[in-house]
Amino acid sequence: MKTVERLDPRVRSCIRKRGFTSLSDAQKQAIPLILDGNNIVLIAPTGTGKTESAMFPVFNGLIPLPGGGGFKAIYITPLRSLNRDILSRMQWWCGELGLTVGVRHGDTPMAERRKQALSPPDLLITTPETFQALFMGKRLRQHLAHVRYVIIDEIHELAGSKRGAQLAVGLERLHVYAGEFQRIGLSATVGNPGEIAGFLCGVRPCSVVQVPVAKQLDLSVQFVGDDFRHQVEVLKKYLKREGSTLVFVNTRVTAEALGHALFGHGDVEVHHGSLSKEVRIDAEERFKKGEIRTLICTSSMELGIDIGRVDHVIQFGSPREVARLVQRVGRAGHQLNTISRGTILATGFDDLLESLVIARKAGANEIEPVVLPRYAADVLANQVAAIAVEYGEIECSGIREICERTILFPDCDELLEKVCRQMEDHHLIRIDGSRIVTTARARRYLAGNLSMIHDERKVPIFDIVSRRTVGTLDESFVVGWVHTGVVFITKGQLWRVLEIADGKLTVEPAKKAIGELPSWEGEQIPVPHSVAQEAGGIRRTRSLAKYRTEPDGIAFASAFFREMDKNRSLVPTDDLITLENTDDGVVCNVCAGHKANEALGRVLSILLSARYGTTVGLELDAYRMLLRLPSSIRAADVRDLLLSLDPATMPGVLRLALKRTALFKWKLVQIAKKFGAIDPDADYEKISIQRLLDFFDNTVVQQEAYRELLSEYMDIDTAAAIVTLVRNGKIQVALGPHSLIGAGGLLSSRDQIPPPTMDSAVLATLKRRLSQDDVILACMNCRDWKSRTIVSRVEEHPRCPKCGARLVAALKPYEE
Amino acid sequence: MKLEFIRSGPALVIENEERLLVVSDLHFGIEADLAAHGLHFASRSTERLERLMRVIDLTDPDRLILLGDIKHSIPSLTRQEYHELPGVMETLRSRLPLLIFPGNHDIGIERFAKKTEICPRDGALINGIAFLHGHMNPAPDLFGNLIVVGHHHPLLALRDEVGCALQEPAYIRAGLMAGKGDLSVPAAKVAQTRLLFMPAFNELAGYDISRIVNDPFSPLSRCMDSKSAEIILADGTYIGPFSSLVQDEDG
Repeated sequence: MKTVERLDPRVRSCIRKRGFTSLSDAQKQAIPLILDGNNIVLIAPTGTGKTESAMFPVFNGLIPLPGGGGFKAIYITPLRSLNRDILSRMQWWCGELGLTVGVRHGDTPMAERRKQALSPPDLLITTPETFQALFMGKRLRQHLAHVRYVIIDEIHELAGSKRGAQLAVGLERLHVYAGEFQRIGLSATVGNPGEIAGFLCGVRPCSVVQVPVAKQLDLSVQFVGDDFRHQVEVLKKYLKREGSTLVFVNTRVTAEALGHALFGHGDVEVHHGSLSKEVRIDAEERFKKGEIRTLICTSSMELGIDIGRVDHVIQFGSPREVARLVQRVGRAGHQLNTISRGTILATGFDDLLESLVIARKAGANEIEPVVLPRYAADVLANQVAAIAVEYGEIECSGIREICERTILFPDCDELLEKVCRQMEDHHLIRIDGSRIVTTARARRYLAGNLSMIHDERKVPIFDIVSRRTVGTLDESFVVGWVHTGVVFITKGQLWRVLEIADGKLTVEPAKKAIGELPSWEGEQIPVPHSVAQEAGGIRRTRSLAKYRTEPDGIAFASAFFREMDKNRSLVPTDDLITLENTDDGVVCNVCAGHKANEALGRVLSILLSARYGTTVGLELDAYRMLLRLPSSIRAADVRDLLLSLDPATMPGVLRLALKRTALFKWKLVQIAKKFGAIDPDADYEKISIQRLLDFFDNTVVQQEAYRELLSEYMDIDTAAAIVTLVRNGKIQVALGPHSLIGAGGLLSSRDQIPPPTMDSAVLATLKRRLSQDDVILACMNCRDWKSRTIVSRVEEHPRCPKCGARLVAALKPYEE
Repeated sequence: MKLEFIRSGPALVIENEERLLVVSDLHFGIEADLAAHGLHFASRSTERLERLMRVIDLTDPDRLILLGDIKHSIPSLTRQEYHELPGVMETLRSRLPLLIFPGNHDIGIERFAKKTEICPRDGALINGIAFLHGHMNPAPDLFGNLIVVGHHHPLLALRDEVGCALQEPAYIRAGLMAGKGDLSVPAAKVAQTRLLFMPAFNELAGYDISRIVNDPFSPLSRCMDSKSAEIILADGTYIGPFSSLVQDEDG
């Protein structure tokens, strides 16, 4: 039987009315599976009718059900804007089919929520966070008992995050009321569809339907150089040639800069997360209607909001990840079976090589896997509190059963017990024998912590000299690390903290800081190891034959290599690490990607800091690290250390290294908040929270901070593997002069690793004080010369200017 | 007179006729106040008391001077304090004799202390050394001596060569300046008076030294001669004059 014929005539008539003449591949494969009651993950590029594939058979199942009584299907998307988009698409279908539909998320007015509680819509569109809130109300809980279908849209966005882990537990909480319901996940292309299926369904069977994306991509890389005006000129040419174009950029700053440069065109708008909702929706609408031809956007446009026809996607600068490129270019050619055309504009040497690698990988369908967060203790804490509030009191084993049905928390007995005891310490729950009991605080906590997203208060930075606000910092960063006297960098300038009071940070410009300091400019997209390594391979072979590029790129790359050779610089590659001395410290060129470099850099830093008793500043990107060191420590010292590293001890060293860093403390505060230790509106000015953080030593809070940092921010396994290759000679280490490659790159991550004790700080302070002390020099030979000066001006071997004798005594002024 | 700086306190041993152990600003019951400010932690009173008992074992003093702010909550006692303070005081008392110089947080301390243990709020001389908490004007007869005070919780921020700042509890030692502040000190006694500001024993307390000196908030810190102020770390390391730290700021 043909797929369509299995659908209810009413659904079929709607499909005809909507003008669908034939079904896409995705729909042909998915619809029968859903009709047969299977759980399913559907992986297909945006615009292949994913939503419809899922919804035709769901409508089919909903029509015969009696009206009213409760929610029958829940449609979850990661964004409110997607909710609105889906709602406007569903309203027509539900209207035709006599079904009711409603949306519920953060922006939904109270009146609408009350109405939903009294007469629930058949289809509820919501976000993961508002889905959590459904369990808090008694009446809403009753409505949940009727759920037959849960559809999770853009599931790849959620699966890798703590939001997703929370949602996975939420689905099992729903299972308690609704029994088995059918689960449908809609995903963009990922490297590991099986894991996504596990995320959606736990251990239940789940089908995966995958529509290949690679053969529908037409990608090219165009080198445009690092001059912004030239970049804009090239971009203008592309915009003139193509029809409607999405221009993806990696930062909001770039989006604004390009928007400004292209403003004269008149048919260009900018779209990013810092703009207000109204401005964004207006830009989307105008693009959809064809009033503007170009939309400059950040990742805000990656997800499937319907913006109509896109002829061409331009990626400005390397997309950094294959998945991201595929997702972004997939926005082009919104009609079925059309080719998506995309062009990467590469802006420099690293950028060019990286873009070529990513474009090749996209064509070969080598897409990064989504890494599921397993055993995230703060998610567990959040869900224990939520379940305690939901039931009032519950056997701990009941909570365990719910959590263990997900694939994220199998055998979580021990962790759950630790989490509960920690929460009891923070007065969030009570433990009564084997039962978990809610507290007055738990409900309040939940109201402020429905989401696992760290919705951070921003602390304004007030410059006392210019008397203006110069920027903001994440509150958790301020709380965890900043104290009076520290110097930090933001907006490319150094600031010293004078005071933290009245919810703001009062600073003055710092003129000098010898070391580079933690900077907080938002987290960047990391380049994966596989990409950085392949780019290192291109540096070794110097051959672009495998890659699609054009003459400008080839010419630039060969000129770059010629210049390196002319300077007798060593070219660091995938099997050569080079170390270079600079005025600021030592550059280590390692083609390992962000996360592995982050791990390796920190291990090197703490060992240097322990060996030489000094703070080590660290900056890095996917291809190099700059270790900021006192001038006495040179590249050869770093090489000796690198060669003596033992891969087996690296994880332990890294844990030690992390503990005193700004990054760790920032993370610790965020997790402590999820454990109920710190309220969202806590007044942290009263005391030194930095010391309070010491109380988390050896607790589950600290354990979670390590888990998250070691799995999501850095890659110690790859770093250790590289060190192993160094030890057995597969990767060489060489010293070289400061090179173009070593000097290049945007150093995107910064931190400091302080020494275990403050001895060196004390010594440095004492030394400075002593060098300013008065001293009297007196010749003990001729006894005819005496001079008063300060210690720092005395020569290494003072001589008497009268008799030339070296017999000069240094006296304290009071000994005169 | 001999001074010993005990880093694991911070605490101070003063030995002349007898061995006096001085600790300041214990703030038992601080957790209830933290909770009121949105920070929810289990009570650490037991750990804090154990740390103090270890310092007592280490130094074997004849008497213990509690230099104020033994408890935390004002203006009224909290349930936590009712619950914990009797045990804290009894543990200490059964080990050695106590002297209490009540501080601004010690409202209601009488409930937990013996009358004979409580010294005047404006201070007293013991073996020729003046003690008071430091939140109010000192008794006139204290001038001309070494005056040991708590209340200020001094904390020193130091930077090393690369620029990282670290914080440590520290002492401030300083002289008085005639005519500064609003205390009337007999002229003859100005030069003989020395102030010693103790760091807090409570592990959470701390207030930057440069702010104590530059922006004084107590009767004694207001009449301190900041030019003479010197910094000593909790372990007794002499850091140097406060003025040399200020010069360092950008050097």
